[in-house]
Amino acid sequence: MRQAGKYSGFMMCGGIAGRTGPHSLPLARIKKIMKKSGEDVKMISGEAPIVFSKACELFIEELTRRSWATTLQGKRRTLHKDDVASAIVATDIFDFLVSMVSETASHSEDGTVPEEEETVGSS
Amino acid sequence: MDPVSGLDRFRSNNNKRQEKSTTASDPAQVTDANNPDAVNVNGGNNSEAAIPRLPVAACMVREQDQYMPIANVIRIMRRILPPHAKISDDAKETVQECVSEYISFITGEANERCQREQRKTVTAEDVLWAMSKLGFDNYIEPLSLFLSKYREAEGTERSSSLFAKCERGDGGMVEYAPVLGHYGPPGFGLAAQQPGMYKAGAMSGYYIGGAGGSGNEGGGAGSSSASQQRQGQSAMGGGFDPFAQFK
Repeated sequence: MRQAGKYSGFMMCGGIAGRTGPHSLPLARIKKIMKKSGEDVKMISGEAPIVFSKACELFIEELTRRSWATTLQGKRRTLHKDDVASAIVATDIFDFLVSMVSETASHSEDGTVPEEEETVGSS
Repeated sequence: MDPVSGLDRFRSNNNKRQEKSTTASDPAQVTDANNPDAVNVNGGNNSEAAIPRLPVAACMVREQDQYMPIANVIRIMRRILPPHAKISDDAKETVQECVSEYISFITGEANERCQREQRKTVTAEDVLWAMSKLGFDNYIEPLSLFLSKYREAEGTERSSSLFAKCERGDGGMVEYAPVLGHYGPPGFGLAAQQPGMYKAGAMSGYYIGGAGGSGNEGGGAGSSSASQQRQGQSAMGGGFDPFAQFK
């Protein structure tokens, strides 16, 4: 019967249990953001940032997926902020983000900012 | 990348964000101009290292502290996108900002619940509850699974001294599911359970070989371990029958 060893098993490659491996979001940063969310956030259990690290991955993945769907509708290959904004507006659970994209839209009507088009493997 | 255009983009981005949360001071930008290393912000993987530190005043929050590192955000985005896809800089930043907003949003709700129940510590359960309440219920299942595995790994490490005394295994440090091996989700369920660590919610639905566990919901950790051991051995026989114990 094959077993994952202590150092090569599931938990180790993801770098969880307090070790932020290359694929996890930094727990200390998450904790800082949590504390900043309200004056009265007092104590945070050790596990809460860990749940958030995974939750933020799921969130980013969902937001990206939905945004990309808008990009494809426009027959484009570059995901723009407008695509993110459309995804937010179209998704009920992202309602809390609507104010963010409308205010960033007003800031960045800045035609002089060139967009960098990245391809995988470029610098 | 042309350093001059990169510097211009950095300045305008920096301005945009500084308007939101910090007071910009010109010396920071002058410093940028003098420090060519600070220029190449968006091209490199580790863009965070290239951003020069803003002068830290007592009231100022550094931009880095408010957001997840953009490299990590981009990496996760790329997992979803096809290889030929491109992401504009403003899209990356927007997603980065949205993540922080998400954390704040959920934490706010979780914290409110703690206050209502007069608890001081925001726990993982509070976070999960808040997510469910705010409409992210399709995250709950993968997150509960993730949390269970994390707890098991932590329990495993902490109880390693116990296992060192066991006869089975090579000095006990290596094998934590020594008798039953792994079936279904790796590391799931049988090694180093601490009483009370598993809540009924965490158990439901995630045991493939653990029907004995759900069948024994009334039982304590000890008895469910014993029944799972028997069941595990029957599973090892090759025919996987979660209801073997009921025959």
